[in-house]
Amino acid sequence: MLRKTLLGMGLLFFIMALLLRPAFAQDAYLVGCSMAVTGPGAEIYGPVKDALDIYFKEVNARGGINGHPVKLIIEDNAAQPSKAAADAKKLVTQDKVLLLINASLSSTYAPMVQVAQQFKVPIFFAGGVCPDEVYPPKTDPYQYCSTAFGAKYDSRFALSFIKEEAKGPVKLGLVAMNIPISRGEIDFAEELSKTMGIEAVDKEVTPPPTPDYTPFAAKIKSAGANWAYAWAPWGCEVRVFEALRKLGWEGKYLAYAHINAEDELRRLKDDGFYVFGTNAFFADNSEIHKKIKAASEREKSIFPYTQLAEGWIAATVLEEILKKTPWPPDPEKVRSAMNQLKVDIKGLKGGPLAWTMDNHYRTATYYRVYKWDSKKNGIVIVKDWTRLEVK
Amino acid sequence: MQLIMNTVVLASLYCLICCGYVLIYRASRVLNLAHGELMTIGGYFLFTVTINLFAGPIPSFLLACIFSLTLGFIIYFFLMRFMTGESVFAAVLVTVALGILLRGLMTSIWTSQLWHPLQHLGMENSSHRLMEEAVISTFGIIKILGAAFLYLVLFFCLKFTRWGLRMRAVGENPLLASRRGIKLHKYYAFSWGIAAFSGGFAGMIQACDSGLDPGMFVIGLKAFPVVLVGGLDSLVGVIPGAFIVALAEILAINYISPQASESAPFIVLLAMLLIRPWGLFGTKEELERV
Amino acid sequence: MAFASGYFKTSYASDLFLLETRTHWVFLIILIVGLIIFPFIASPFLLDLANQVFLALIGAIALMLLTGYAGQISLGHAGFIAAGAFTTAILFKELNAPIFVTLPASGLMGAILGIIFGLPSLRLKGLYLALSTLAMHFIVTYLGAEYETKRGFATGVLISPPSLGAFKMEDPRLWYFLLLLIDILVILFSINLVRSRSGRAWIAIRNREVVAETLGIKVPFYKLSAFIASSIMTSIAGCLFAYYRGFVSVEAFSLFMTIEYIAMIIIGGLGSILGAVFGTIFVVLLPYVIDAIGKMLHVPTRLTTYMFAIQYGSFGLIMIIFLVLEPGGLVNIWNRIRNYFILWPFKYKPLGK
Repeated sequence: MLRKTLLGMGLLFFIMALLLRPAFAQDAYLVGCSMAVTGPGAEIYGPVKDALDIYFKEVNARGGINGHPVKLIIEDNAAQPSKAAADAKKLVTQDKVLLLINASLSSTYAPMVQVAQQFKVPIFFAGGVCPDEVYPPKTDPYQYCSTAFGAKYDSRFALSFIKEEAKGPVKLGLVAMNIPISRGEIDFAEELSKTMGIEAVDKEVTPPPTPDYTPFAAKIKSAGANWAYAWAPWGCEVRVFEALRKLGWEGKYLAYAHINAEDELRRLKDDGFYVFGTNAFFADNSEIHKKIKAASEREKSIFPYTQLAEGWIAATVLEEILKKTPWPPDPEKVRSAMNQLKVDIKGLKGGPLAWTMDNHYRTATYYRVYKWDSKKNGIVIVKDWTRLEVK
Repeated sequence: MQLIMNTVVLASLYCLICCGYVLIYRASRVLNLAHGELMTIGGYFLFTVTINLFAGPIPSFLLACIFSLTLGFIIYFFLMRFMTGESVFAAVLVTVALGILLRGLMTSIWTSQLWHPLQHLGMENSSHRLMEEAVISTFGIIKILGAAFLYLVLFFCLKFTRWGLRMRAVGENPLLASRRGIKLHKYYAFSWGIAAFSGGFAGMIQACDSGLDPGMFVIGLKAFPVVLVGGLDSLVGVIPGAFIVALAEILAINYISPQASESAPFIVLLAMLLIRPWGLFGTKEELERV
Repeated sequence: MAFASGYFKTSYASDLFLLETRTHWVFLIILIVGLIIFPFIASPFLLDLANQVFLALIGAIALMLLTGYAGQISLGHAGFIAAGAFTTAILFKELNAPIFVTLPASGLMGAILGIIFGLPSLRLKGLYLALSTLAMHFIVTYLGAEYETKRGFATGVLISPPSLGAFKMEDPRLWYFLLLLIDILVILFSINLVRSRSGRAWIAIRNREVVAETLGIKVPFYKLSAFIASSIMTSIAGCLFAYYRGFVSVEAFSLFMTIEYIAMIIIGGLGSILGAVFGTIFVVLLPYVIDAIGKMLHVPTRLTTYMFAIQYGSFGLIMIIFLVLEPGGLVNIWNRIRNYFILWPFKYKPLGK
């Protein structure tokens, strides 16, 4: 009896789900998002979704954009390319969204880009690594990116910072994780270090599921490195650093600042741990940071407010795009709005984020370096906004 | 010297994890592919207990261990019990499905953030200098001591106590054991409980040593070659197996390339399959010549 | 299989027919007509789902042959698909090879891997093949990642659509018909394979290996042949995978993919090709069905993060429910419904059938 009931229910759900389609309001700006809310990398993309939800709930409460509400249709692709492709097709053809947002692992990029190009809908990368096609000069007309980290520009800034800060000979250890993006960047950094006169003494590529980072750290230490540079997912970066410290290494460590970098600086309280990035930390306590903190408390966000910066930036950019898209909207109008975008990110980044027809990353990117200072017992800025032209 | 220290620490972590695999395989011939998730959930239990109940290390560890033990019992009573008559393959698949279910539950209860139970415990994972160039962390020491203690207790119980004897009997020939009046379900439940406990304990220590992250369950899969090298149904075999695999990994990191260390355990596994498929101490299976 | 009374086979030749009664013919024609009309009336989303089902079916049937018919447990299915996909990617990028070269090359790679990883473990009874194939999965993904990084394809290898004679395979409808054709060929091939001597040897090995040996079946040879047949088919599926998605990246071939394929054959029902078909449809469509159910419940957007995690976990829960309550799988349910209608108003099959 139990079996028959379950079977009947299951069949009913199956059929209902395939036939029924929820309808969306016709007077709203429809934005389709395919994110890795569960699955690998969810700790990076979950906060992006959280921030988008909170931001647009408040925008809609204030009356929406151009008098119309904004509806975010969010699908979970669990970092699986096939699901990302199918969800993208559904969003574009059934729900008729104006643009697609991708916040997921890079393996989901190509299928979604294919859908975007086929149906001529712009795709906005908001939390994952920016693909090559958003950088000038070979910019793809349909791909745009607002994420903080940028391949090659990050390493250029990082190495010049290390050279400047070291004020002496540098023996550099490099840390990457064995995923193609991280390895590619560190390989590039290795090449760059030769031209900048920095001696790269060791390069460690850690496999993703590593129980113990001590062997890798031991190699860096025995190679005699006095500085180390890491560009990898946060877990790898911080655990190699902790292993190095446990081995008694006294050198300085520069890591790319992911969304949880601020909390981790507070946890580690180490003067030799530098993080660099393009987003300002909440320790600055500027207006926008107070606003985000208040919104997160009001709406009871799932993730702590210190991790919402990236998503907030994406939401601000999205709002600006939709503001410039006249009603009635369609993907072409959205695209032309995106091609001439200039958004003032109000203290979250070093300067405005600007897109042009040929540059879908940003025309200039600004970096800052933070570290913990035990004398002041707080997070301090080591180097303020440095501008790098993106051409 | 540091090399040896790293190998010992890694090997003891593998020992802790593989103890669970061997116990369940020996009792019911089922490969529990959800062990990695049991490990991770142990770490999460510790984290929850520390935040909500006690902050001292000893009581929170103890309570989290009791939670893991209970989880093992619950899994047996509400799930694996129904698979006793079915084929082994179906039972293995149920464990896989259980792993997926546990992962979904973990993400929904604790979200996918990276947590650090250690900072809430009030303990420091400091490093100690043991010999000339060998440095080890507090939790590295706890790993080694914990593994040694657990194995000693298990050896003693399985060899000398009555219930250990019965558990071995249940593993060897369940039909005969049940004819003798040994309650099969009770001992299967025990094996699952202890396996969940040891896996959870490994997870807790790993969480304190390296931090808790939802991707920790993959370490459970990396521990598979250890079980095969030592022998799927031999607890004695896990120790040399763990050392061999850990040594292979560390040597790969130092002398081949760091990224090769991911596949080094599996190459050892393949070599073992070619030379001595039933492992160092496992029960000999019949070989067919091809 | 139950038959209504009055149906008799009167010649040996009629024993070999695949379609036996007029009802079979009628339903088959309805099915074929439906399948042909489908791409013209379905939305691109449903078309994509159908293509995904067809693509997964090849791998599922291969695994069904290995596990359902020959009884060997393999955990390396994603490794074989990755091997096929990477062979295609490497040949395409380095030598600009057309599909006529990459398809057989992927099959050959599958066979080679099958021999390397099958020989050591098929000598033994038990779960050794599972562990050996697990090792193969990690080694193949490691080599794939090495290739991606060394040649600079950090985000993955892009593959342009293949051209088959006059057709450039870009339109999903073209893919639909190509995959449907391949699927029909694979199904016919498999059905005949399991009715042949090899298939009967496999079934004998699965049921009682010792007795199979005494009957004179060369057990190690047939075990290996099952593994190699399955791996060739799976690698070819991997090659098609690469072309359909146009993109190969090592992150797409995780252990979760292996688990999905195993779920397909178990939920479908071990030991029948029809089971593979049902199982594939179920497993491929399940995440979308769960998503749709989730949307029907109108959860506030903030809580959807939890909903997604629950949807992920419910995949495991549904698998568990199937394994515990219906070990025979969907095909068992199908057979019971079928028999109910065929035998009505009687309830039981006549003795001896």
